[in-house]
Amino acid sequence: MRGTHMKGCLRAGLQRGGIELRQLLRNPKELSGHLSNVAVALAVAAFVGDDVPGTRTPMAHLVLAGFAAYLLFQVGLVTLPQILVTEREEGALLRLRATPGGIPAYLIAKCLLVVGTAVGTLALLLLAAAVLVDGPLPHGPGGWLTLLWVTALGLLAVVPLGAAIGAVLPNPREALALIMLPVMGLLVTSGTVFPLTSLPVPVQQVASVFPLKWMAQGLRSALLPDSARAAEAAGSWELPLVAAVLTAWAVLGFLLAVPLLRRAARRESGSRLTARHRKAAQSGAAPS
Amino acid sequence: MTPPRTPADVVVEARDVTMAYGDADVLRGVDLDIHRGEVFALLGPNGAGKTTTVEILEGFRRRSGGEVRVLGADPERGDDAWRGRIGLVLQSWRDHPRWRVAELLGHFATYYPDPRDPAELLALVGLTGQADRQVNRLSGGQRRRLDVALGIVGRPELLFLDEPTTGFDPEARHEFHLLVERLARDEGVTVLLTTHDLAEAERLADRIAMLVGGRIRACGTPAELARRAAAQAEVRWTADDGTPRRERSEDPSRLVWELHRDADGPIPGLEVRRPTLEDTYLHMVHRAADDTDGTEDAKERAA
Repeated sequence: MRGTHMKGCLRAGLQRGGIELRQLLRNPKELSGHLSNVAVALAVAAFVGDDVPGTRTPMAHLVLAGFAAYLLFQVGLVTLPQILVTEREEGALLRLRATPGGIPAYLIAKCLLVVGTAVGTLALLLLAAAVLVDGPLPHGPGGWLTLLWVTALGLLAVVPLGAAIGAVLPNPREALALIMLPVMGLLVTSGTVFPLTSLPVPVQQVASVFPLKWMAQGLRSALLPDSARAAEAAGSWELPLVAAVLTAWAVLGFLLAVPLLRRAARRESGSRLTARHRKAAQSGAAPS
Repeated sequence: MTPPRTPADVVVEARDVTMAYGDADVLRGVDLDIHRGEVFALLGPNGAGKTTTVEILEGFRRRSGGEVRVLGADPERGDDAWRGRIGLVLQSWRDHPRWRVAELLGHFATYYPDPRDPAELLALVGLTGQADRQVNRLSGGQRRRLDVALGIVGRPELLFLDEPTTGFDPEARHEFHLLVERLARDEGVTVLLTTHDLAEAERLADRIAMLVGGRIRACGTPAELARRAAAQAEVRWTADDGTPRRERSEDPSRLVWELHRDADGPIPGLEVRRPTLEDTYLHMVHRAADDTDGTEDAKERAA
């Protein structure tokens, strides 16, 4: 009985994720949001000319590896919380709470959507870069393997964290403002678009606490030639440390996300939904 | 006339349910019995505690005190199997805006062990023509009918309808009433309807409970309540000195006869009024509002 129940949740979740991915592909506005990231990365890569200081690796490759990491980071920490906050406000979470097996299916669907979006944009970026601006691709099976595990672990580090953030943020309008500032700060300070070593040491140390720096470093190790590690702060790729930091964030994310999501789902009720809609109407948000 | 009720016939049972937010008592001891297959209306003004009561029954809110059984279980501990036997139609759903109507209904059917056929369901709620339309392109009435379809796709035994016709035009309201009647009559679904519209409650409900100031002030069939309301008639007339007089009486005929006998002739301005259910309801609401003016603000905040 329990087994068939789990299978039902999985089936509903996969169906839901598939439908939502298809909706994303059908929605020009949202799709262009993801595609513009790729376009910006390609444009920047096409215009930076120099080599990474102290190496013979083109700067464009460091930038593309950095943007690849940022894409994963953004899907987990910007796109996912926004989806969660929006769907909470619309009442989707409440409806699924009122449906048997709805919440597990919802989480499965969101994982599928986030992984699909992240892997899709990442693949598009790397392929388009390779074709259009002579971008980097992994060298040999080892490089592909690194790309795979850094992507997977990077998503594990940011997706639960993003879910936790989405569970506590007040509403979609404030959510974007609250998330974008720190995310942009990390984009600049994590060595994604220019070498970390050109930043003051205290800034490097702060950025090293957050996952983006390590995701970018891991992807550089997968995409750039081994000689490029001369430009790294430690003079090496520090892959064990990349794995350790990302794992730590993944664990922290899960520890936060499970109770916070449970709390968010438990707090949903019709009257709270009505109250939120009333507040949204007062603040001048257009009804959806 | 009615056969004796067995425990299985009682779908909702609430005893002395209380709810307090801080100092504000929103529910002050609510008792409810709702039987299988009936349409039960919980009627009350805004802020009377209707939504709180229903959310306690739905398992979305923890009560402060009292006993509640819904379909044989305490809603606070309702599991997935229990959830599957309950359908919900709330006021404020605007979820899944980008889904197509048939797609959404088909998806929600997969969560239930024995769902209705989505195509038949669309026909039942009159949305067959909108099957491929995106949900956010539906009109308000269509959206609400879709909500009803989603609420009953799992063949619930108990359906909660929370102020379902707020903002409807008269025609949409009428069609919605027909749909609810069909569900209750043909499918045997027990319906708990909350509304502040007495006419809607009289039209749809087998029984009405009036919730005012956190208590059930009256409960019965519309006919019973109307009879009880009309039990005390009001007699008005103009006295000899020209002042208007009024008196309440269970036997207005006797009072009028006595007046005629005393006056020994016609009575100026004589009028006998039987209060309607609406008079009684409004009277109750006003009396409660006078009683609880001080705590109304606190309740607003808590809700």
